[in-house]
Amino acid sequence: MVAEKETLSLNKCPDKMPKRTKLLAQQPLPAHQPHPLVSEGFTVKAMMKNSVVRGPPAAGAFKERPTKPTVFRKFYERGDFPIALEHDSKGNKIAWKVEIEKLDFHHYLPLFFEGLCEMTFPYEFFARQGIHDMLEHGGSKILPVIPQLVIPIKINSGDGIDYGQQKRENIGDLIQETLEVLERRGGGDAFINIKYMVPTYESCLLN
Amino acid sequence: MASSDMKPKSISHAKKWSEEIENLYRFQQAGYRDEIEYKQVKQVSMVDRWPETGYVKKLQRKDNTFYYYNKQRECDDKEVHKVKIYAY
Repeated sequence: MVAEKETLSLNKCPDKMPKRTKLLAQQPLPAHQPHPLVSEGFTVKAMMKNSVVRGPPAAGAFKERPTKPTVFRKFYERGDFPIALEHDSKGNKIAWKVEIEKLDFHHYLPLFFEGLCEMTFPYEFFARQGIHDMLEHGGSKILPVIPQLVIPIKINSGDGIDYGQQKRENIGDLIQETLEVLERRGGGDAFINIKYMVPTYESCLLN
Repeated sequence: MASSDMKPKSISHAKKWSEEIENLYRFQQAGYRDEIEYKQVKQVSMVDRWPETGYVKKLQRKDNTFYYYNKQRECDDKEVHKVKIYAY
């Protein structure tokens, strides 16, 4: 407890003496507030009393990731694909230099699926339209290739890439539709092959 | 097989869509007047068609590339007036 002290006025004190301030008994001394210590989590510093742990850094799960150049793009730029871009009144169309029925599906189909990663024109158009044409007209050539397709499909399905197109909402929808086409056209073993590589896939045919 | 070259005598534009117009549209997309010219140029007697709808499925163009067409209708209403009908 601090006793009240009388202020010494300048009249009584010499000129050089400072004026003292009154200390009121009821007013408690301010408690010492230590500065918070910002520290990273899971460190020894974080265990200290006045430590404030900083939140974790953003993982970047939803950050758009640029895709690395695909083998599909390399082949296309080298002119290895038997396709040419045509412009019609509705937009774009593919003209095939070789009949689809005569193509080596084991070589081309997995490449085109790998090209689904591409997001720029004309690569993304060729990949998407090429797959569509090959699946529509491939017939019995599709089934033996299914095991080779599931891995590039699985790789593509992991990304949160927005893929706004004329007919498709996103890459996830396109992949789902593609797997369904493969199951419908691929014969009796198609589903089991797809399920083995993409366990989350559910049949569109079986009850 | 196609007979010797037949030239059309008149030309008109389609006004309304029909299955015939759909097929004409597909031939004209591939660079031909119609099925008659296609058979003359390619020297074929049959054209690849979808069994379910009867629409043209595949055509070989004059540069030898191949055009593939959908099973369902491709010619929108707004494209119909561009389709030419040739009379022989």
